[in-house]
Amino acid sequence: MITTSAKAQTGKAVTVKTTFSRETSVSIDIKADASIVWALLTKASDYPRWNSTVTSIEGTIALDQKILLKSKLDAKRTFKLKVKEFEPEKKLVWGDGQGNRVYTITNKGNGEVTFSMTEKIGGLMFPLYGGMIPSFDQSFEQFASDLKKESETIMNAK
Amino acid sequence: MTVELLNQEFENNRGNLKSFLVRITASVADAEDIAQDTYIKAVEKLSSFRGESTLKTWFFTIASNLAKDNLRAQKRWTENVTDITKAAALADKQFFQEAMNIRMTSTQGQFEAKEHIAFCFTCISKSLPLEQQLCLFLKEVYEFKVSEIATILDTTEAMVKYYLHTGRSKMMGIFDGRCALISKNGVCHQCSELNGIFNPKQNTQQELMKIEMVKEAEKGDKEHLFDLRMEVLRGIDPFKSSAAELQLHHLEHNRMVMEKYERKNAD
Repeated sequence: MITTSAKAQTGKAVTVKTTFSRETSVSIDIKADASIVWALLTKASDYPRWNSTVTSIEGTIALDQKILLKSKLDAKRTFKLKVKEFEPEKKLVWGDGQGNRVYTITNKGNGEVTFSMTEKIGGLMFPLYGGMIPSFDQSFEQFASDLKKESETIMNAK
Repeated sequence: MTVELLNQEFENNRGNLKSFLVRITASVADAEDIAQDTYIKAVEKLSSFRGESTLKTWFFTIASNLAKDNLRAQKRWTENVTDITKAAALADKQFFQEAMNIRMTSTQGQFEAKEHIAFCFTCISKSLPLEQQLCLFLKEVYEFKVSEIATILDTTEAMVKYYLHTGRSKMMGIFDGRCALISKNGVCHQCSELNGIFNPKQNTQQELMKIEMVKEAEKGDKEHLFDLRMEVLRGIDPFKSSAAELQLHHLEHNRMVMEKYERKNAD
């Protein structure tokens, strides 16, 4: 079954489901410098201050580093993740055996960037447990909205 | 640009530079050394000064670079620095004897709560990442523009804004949880306690209410309270105020305690 929402850049999440996987994406335009968006995305201890979907992130967000993430979506679990790609101001990927979360920042050249976030989970056993994993849509939309708000607040400071 | 003009401008800025440096390093000796090294470097590099910034900005650029070199190898302090140093002070009779001696004999030995507020900010700001600490002081206390701070720290205006915002947010959060002057959640009463020790005849509550930040505390506007805290810092020169010797003695004590604490925790 394929579910699609409204246009991605407005911050609405899109989820695509197949038998063996589920992929959720969100994109949003942010009127801020890419360096600010990147700094917010890569400062682990600062997440709970601006991001209402994250309870805590322990560790250092840097290439090949392991981080421990607690999210409000699944409050009882601690996700042990590895930072797999780290391309400053462009791309950040972390994940585990189940799937990867990919963040990208695309400079639009007018003092604006497009931030996108995608997570694909799946595998041969996915049909057995997929139904137990809650929808990411609302959490993704909140993440993107929080990032936009915080980045633009910083950018607009005097 | 002549050496005479540089000398004149440096003397005009020396006080501000030393004030900035002691708040960044928490060390009187380092502040004085770095200020002197800043002057020497400025003279050496005078021919390369193109006037793209003011001399004041240039002096602060050299001083900030020297301070960063000095601090890079040191660990940042912890948010609860005032708890750690208070425990050490209470166990150290000599510290209080020296402090009381300064209080009784020095012309710069008065105890005023607003001086302690500034001192406290200096100590806790050392728990911020260095870039955040530098940006906060340069903008909020020494009143540089964002563009000038970008020059001083050789970074972009966007990153200066990021450091300022995150540093400010973190400090507001810390004071909201710690400072009993502004928050009902505040666990730290050191201003009141020390005022009771050094000014036993004063009504501490009355004295505290003379400070705008304390008067405004009930309204609970954290941003405004932070601005008022910064106003307190702007009004105090840590080397020239009537409480300078007492507060610098206290700062030296805290620095030594924190250096020992960091060494112990590194083992």
